[in-house]
Amino acid sequence: MAQSSIATTGFVIPPGQDPVSVFEKHRAELLRSRLVMNITLIVLFLALLIVSVIISRFYPERLWNGLPRIFEYFGTVMPSLEADKLFEGRAENGKAVPGSLLFWYSDIGKYVRLLFETILMAITATMLGVALAFVLSFPAARNLALTRWSNILARRTAEVFRGVPEIVIALVLVFAVGIGPLAGVIAIAIHTAGALGKLFSEVNENASMRPVEGVRSVGGNWFAEMRFGVVPQVLPNFVSYALLRFEINVRASSIVGFVGAGGIGQELNHTISFYNDDRVMAVLILIVLLVTTIDLISERVRTRLIGRENLI
Amino acid sequence: MSDATLQHPRPMQVTASDIADLRQRFPDAFGNRRRQATSALLWTVAIGYLLWSLWYFEFDKLFNFNERATRMFSEFFIWGDMSGWDYVGIYQGLAETIAMAFLGTLLGSIAALLIAFFAARNTMPQPIIRHGVRRFLDLLRGIDSLIWALVFVRAVGLGPLAGVLSIFVSDAGTLSKLYSEAIENVDRKQIEGVRASGASPAKSIRFGYLPQIAPVFISLSLYSFESSVRSATILGIVGAGGIGKVLVDRFRAGFFDQVAFVVINILICVFVLDWLSGKVRAHFIGEKPH
Amino acid sequence: MLEITQLTKAFGPNKAVDNITLSVPQGQMVGVIGRSGAGKSTLLRMVNRLAEPTDGKILFGGREVTALRGRALYAWRAECAMVFQQFNLVGRMSVINNVLMGRIFHHGFATAMLQIFGPEERALAIRALDRLGMAHTALQRAETLSGGQMQRVAIARALVQQPKLMLADEPIASLDPLNAKVVMDALRTINREDGITVLANLHTLDTARTYCDRIVGLMEGRVVFDGTPDQLTDRQAREIYGAEADDAFSEGVTSTSLRPAQPVRALEGAE
Ligand SMILES: Nc1ncnc2c1ncn2[C@@H]1O[C@H](COP(=O)(O)OP(=O)(O)OP(=O)(O)O)[C@@H](O)[C@H]1O
Ligand SMILES: [Mg+2]
Repeated sequence: MAQSSIATTGFVIPPGQDPVSVFEKHRAELLRSRLVMNITLIVLFLALLIVSVIISRFYPERLWNGLPRIFEYFGTVMPSLEADKLFEGRAENGKAVPGSLLFWYSDIGKYVRLLFETILMAITATMLGVALAFVLSFPAARNLALTRWSNILARRTAEVFRGVPEIVIALVLVFAVGIGPLAGVIAIAIHTAGALGKLFSEVNENASMRPVEGVRSVGGNWFAEMRFGVVPQVLPNFVSYALLRFEINVRASSIVGFVGAGGIGQELNHTISFYNDDRVMAVLILIVLLVTTIDLISERVRTRLIGRENLI
Repeated sequence: MSDATLQHPRPMQVTASDIADLRQRFPDAFGNRRRQATSALLWTVAIGYLLWSLWYFEFDKLFNFNERATRMFSEFFIWGDMSGWDYVGIYQGLAETIAMAFLGTLLGSIAALLIAFFAARNTMPQPIIRHGVRRFLDLLRGIDSLIWALVFVRAVGLGPLAGVLSIFVSDAGTLSKLYSEAIENVDRKQIEGVRASGASPAKSIRFGYLPQIAPVFISLSLYSFESSVRSATILGIVGAGGIGKVLVDRFRAGFFDQVAFVVINILICVFVLDWLSGKVRAHFIGEKPH
Repeated sequence: MLEITQLTKAFGPNKAVDNITLSVPQGQMVGVIGRSGAGKSTLLRMVNRLAEPTDGKILFGGREVTALRGRALYAWRAECAMVFQQFNLVGRMSVINNVLMGRIFHHGFATAMLQIFGPEERALAIRALDRLGMAHTALQRAETLSGGQMQRVAIARALVQQPKLMLADEPIASLDPLNAKVVMDALRTINREDGITVLANLHTLDTARTYCDRIVGLMEGRVVFDGTPDQLTDRQAREIYGAEADDAFSEGVTSTSLRPAQPVRALEGAE
């Protein structure tokens, strides 16, 4: 034990030498190497900073000119509500009164439909993605794959699926299958399959091989080994990762609309791009509410599941 | 051969009356009907929902590709003449992406360094302020950086400035929360140890707090940088600069082989940056990941 | 009849099992002894085909086990049960379902994956658990059991395979003496009553002496002793356990001080 800890710091006291001077020498060496490394990092950091500022033209005066416009914009997107008309219904001519909540949210029917669509997109995409990730995760785990090639193939597939942002996949799919939520669902499902496929396979790699060997020894084939040797061990982790991913997917499905792939994002994109300024806030508030509500529910479910696990 | 059949082992066997008897003694071991019914119901609901939602999303559209789509997918893999491509534009876009992520994360970290102390229980005892700050952070994080980018593009115009700002805002939200958790997790015993050896408050922050939180903060910021690079690659889709702009332009113009090339470059770039940031993290945390 | 001829297993340059030839008639209880690293586990795992031999043959009832592939291999594993030192149960599954795993070979893909077992199989599983005095735990999760209980469940799983041969790789090495006795008694009873051949790796000499008809001593992958417990002299035992144990060697060192087999209560009840 002591041997190995000395070995890792590279610090041994040769017999017959003064331990203090040996220590001081060693300390000085260590400090010098740290100092060199730190200076290199600082220089790199400063270089990166300067290059970044130049490339993105992030100059103080631009920022200075921009800042007021940001606050100005946030001013314009605020709804023009009037306290006395706030809860007024429709006027005689069937139109909502400007300044009332009803006027601000006169498109509420459309919003609700799109929010509903957003949630459905997230649920369906998560289900499809989890199913695909589940299938990928066994060949992608080094300890479980039947052959080296199936392992490499599954890993690369997961990496590529994970590496391409969902909105890029959505962009491509909108072109292929047309505008609408289908492209978004498939794009998110593919990205989910990659991200979860990697996480799931890591869980699989940490699973104990004893039950697997137990199933093998009674004459089970590879599928039986996975189903009974691995799945019971990893399922709680899979469920908790899948729920976390669902939260992320709700966010994703609220933005894929920017490229026409369905959901509330489409409406937000319209309101912002077509200068319907007061509506921007109306839609944004709904998105934030949706995301936080889903987070809260999903967190509850997760802690309940984990809590139950701990009891056993 | 013959001895195997002669001395054949006498296996355990069960008769119908054994089954009836055991079923009476251990009814649940023969399958719990209620549990089976519940799980069958759950599966039916899940699969039923999936089929219904796929119908609702018009899944069949996936199978009637038009001719344009086929051309696109084939051009992803079969590239045309590569000599005329605008490599300068592509790599400038990549550099801009990294620059946006770097500046955004840096500014976000600096902001988080201030905000986090208002959101941590042990440094902000006043619950009203703490909860107010936390809800505000939830708001920042709840809105995707792409939405922020859209908003900032409208506010400050097209270009990387909007991208930097959107990454700054969402990183400030995420990092403040993570930093404040790190501050809450500081080990009191170590600080008391420093105090007990006669340190002034300033010294106890320097030798008690800082050694504990600095590596965590750096490591969190590096993680945040990695994820910001990923989000910065797509901000161009709404006009906030970076490689996303290049990607969308090529896509809209129908240069699908260049789109594939750009995507591959993004993948490589993200991979390399993850690796580099892992190295730097290992240096600051002081141990290599096993 | 299990016939092992010139069986060899090499890990790189080192031979874990070196040219072993052995023949075991049906219904015999054989104890394999040897010090750590002698190749006991490797030998057993090759018989079950969990490990691939480098060279040599294993025959069972005239069938060449070492040549089996695909479904025939699974069939062999189903026929040749194995009990492990660490039990190798599926912790998060109920005891009865763990035991029913012993039937998995006889199922098609769908019924296996959905765990659809018939009433005969379930009755068989409870019978097996009952023989080992574990029927009352049938619906518990396997991970909630004690080590000795887990090993009895593992033996029940082996029993519902209706095997002709049962391999046990140090079945009592992680158990306390009392549980060790229960498990060894169970193996002995199964051997006597069902006529199943038992091949057990044992790390304690007196357990082997007490329970086995025949003892095989391994050293560096080779058979150095093969005979009845009476034929095994103190000097030979010393040799098997190696020179380093020379000074301190006595049977007491490797003993878990088990008394001779007396039928377990639970096993009496089953008859
Ligand atoms: N998978 C493997 N890879 C490399 N060498 C192995 C492997 N399995 C076993 N060996 C080697 O083969 C030899 C025999 O191992 P084996 O496990 O059969 O011994 P054993 O008699 O069961 O010992 P123990 O009583 O400690 O269980 C040992 O030298 C071991 O290091
Ligand atoms: Mg062994």
